Amino acid sequence: MDDVIRMTRTQPVHLVVLALIGLVVLVGMYSSDRFATPLNFANVQDQMVALALVALAQTIVILSGGIDLSYAGALGLLTVVFASIAGEDPASFAAAIAIVLSLGVFIGAINGSIVTFVGIHPLIVTLGTSTILSGLALLITRQPTGSVPLFFEDLVYGRIGMIPYGTIFTLMLYLLAGFLLWKTRLGLRIYAIGDNEQAASISGVPVKSTKLIVYALSGLLAAVTAIYICGRFGVGDPRAGVGFDLKSITPVIVGGTLLAGGRGGVLGTLLAVIVLALLANVLNFMNVSSFYQWIAEGLIIIAAVSIFVGRKSK
Amino acid sequence: MSMTALFGKDSGTVRAQQNRELLLLTGFLVVIWAVTTVLSPRFLSPANLSDILLQAAPLGFVVIGQMIVIIVRGLDLSVASIMATVAVLSIGLNDNTVVIFAVGILLGALIGGINGYLVAYRGVTPFLATLATMIVLQGVRFAYTGGAPGGTLPETFRWLATGDLFGIPVALMLLAIVAFAAHWLLEYTVYGRRLKLYGDNPEAAYMTGAPTRLLVVSAFMISGVLAGLAGLVLVGYVGIVDNWTGRGYELDSIAAAVIGGAALSGGKGSVPGVLLATLVLVSLFNIVVILGLSIELQLVIKGSLILLAAAVYMRRSRR
Repeated sequence: MDDVIRMTRTQPVHLVVLALIGLVVLVGMYSSDRFATPLNFANVQDQMVALALVALAQTIVILSGGIDLSYAGALGLLTVVFASIAGEDPASFAAAIAIVLSLGVFIGAINGSIVTFVGIHPLIVTLGTSTILSGLALLITRQPTGSVPLFFEDLVYGRIGMIPYGTIFTLMLYLLAGFLLWKTRLGLRIYAIGDNEQAASISGVPVKSTKLIVYALSGLLAAVTAIYICGRFGVGDPRAGVGFDLKSITPVIVGGTLLAGGRGGVLGTLLAVIVLALLANVLNFMNVSSFYQWIAEGLIIIAAVSIFVGRKSK
Repeated sequence: MSMTALFGKDSGTVRAQQNRELLLLTGFLVVIWAVTTVLSPRFLSPANLSDILLQAAPLGFVVIGQMIVIIVRGLDLSVASIMATVAVLSIGLNDNTVVIFAVGILLGALIGGINGYLVAYRGVTPFLATLATMIVLQGVRFAYTGGAPGGTLPETFRWLATGDLFGIPVALMLLAIVAFAAHWLLEYTVYGRRLKLYGDNPEAAYMTGAPTRLLVVSAFMISGVLAGLAGLVLVGYVGIVDNWTGRGYELDSIAAAVIGGAALSGGKGSVPGVLLATLVLVSLFNIVVILGLSIELQLVIKGSLILLAAAVYMRRSRR
């Protein structure tokens, strides 16, 4: 277990990613005067909150040896439900929050139940539920719909100096997740299952209930992300989640968490989200079209994965 | 180590199980066709049936490739991106059908080879390797076309995808050739046996002296080539070249392969099974349209079907 905890905290990966952040910032400062301004940094943070939240959920699932591809459909349905319920008054807003958070947990619990009790590969399970959820979202509405109260939009767009509230909220959630993973029994169990499910089961870890909790947590975080997305765009969009299924995996892997589970942690994911957001920002300043940004993103995944994995395999 | 561990499961048992799965799928297909015909007689019209088959053709190519990759414990998320990239690049380069197909096949093999190299020689998880290729290819073809694909579609293309020869659709003949070849490779050659053995037990395959890394690379190359072909056929069917040609095929092909009996844990899969599953999927999409149901229901039905099929097979293959 000492080994697990050591791997969670600091890894060479973190230093590499930190160095990358430094490099990207240097290139950014060199390429534009407007890059190193408080306004731009606040902008980058706004861009990254939603991805950071989904990636946090994905990190926990991947650490447990699973994967969650249901965000694409789940985010669409959750934003649509939230924006249709949340009116202008605080009461319906509170109701919308409660309903969407429960719905998120419910979706996660369904994923978790099918994975644990029926025994289907999580990739297939979450692919199936994602398809169903986006179908449901589109059955409700084909166009972006609903609204959110003004005070909530103000909150999402609010800042202390150059730090948006969204960043503070995200950091708090990462700290909470870190605490959960490193300091609680549940966290140890998640690592143990991801490392070796059979061994964990033999040594008395309640594998099924732990997995169920992991997917429910993932659904809960997806709901939080959906609420944030509604606050930023002011509407619920059945297509809000498109791409988030695969996008959520990139920062987890670049941050050094093994897709096989049991190794890695949330710090790496957070650093990787920062690198990816800064990189996209700098490439925009350099007038690099999104076409070349895609090529860069793919190459970064290949580089990150084949360097880290290649070193481990005999 | 028992003989079973070395040479895979007893081939008789496997074949019996495969036959049961084929029967199950055929039964399912008959039931949904019958129900739809009762609800809407238009379903069984020759025009609609040939529509279903033509739509099944491009997906069929991709599914066969996907299945071969899944047999060696892989997964190919890049197939849709390969379809679009091959179509955009090879049609953009030339307007001679033969040249286009030659370039397309080479390109598909090259991309599949890169996937395979990353997986077999660099130890990258197939999921990530093909995810990365998918994104890179997306960038490459958008950069190449500047967002708006050009090139003219030769007349022969429309004929290949929608025309017929002696009353049989050409696209289906192409699929039949590929399907027979793939079936023969998998069931009657040493190569096919090695693919399945590797999926069952990589160490055992290595110990029999099979070039395991090359096996994996070759599986991804086959998937790349078939995806490229599918892209060209689909472009011919739709009639225009688009940067998003084949969007959604990566997940549809995985779904069809799994419904058709390929196990994500490797070692299992048959051409007749996955082709039947392809037909089931395409029929379901068609039924939604024929019955005038909301298109969104397709998604709900497809997702439920994936879960249902996976659940049925999982229960059975549990030891």
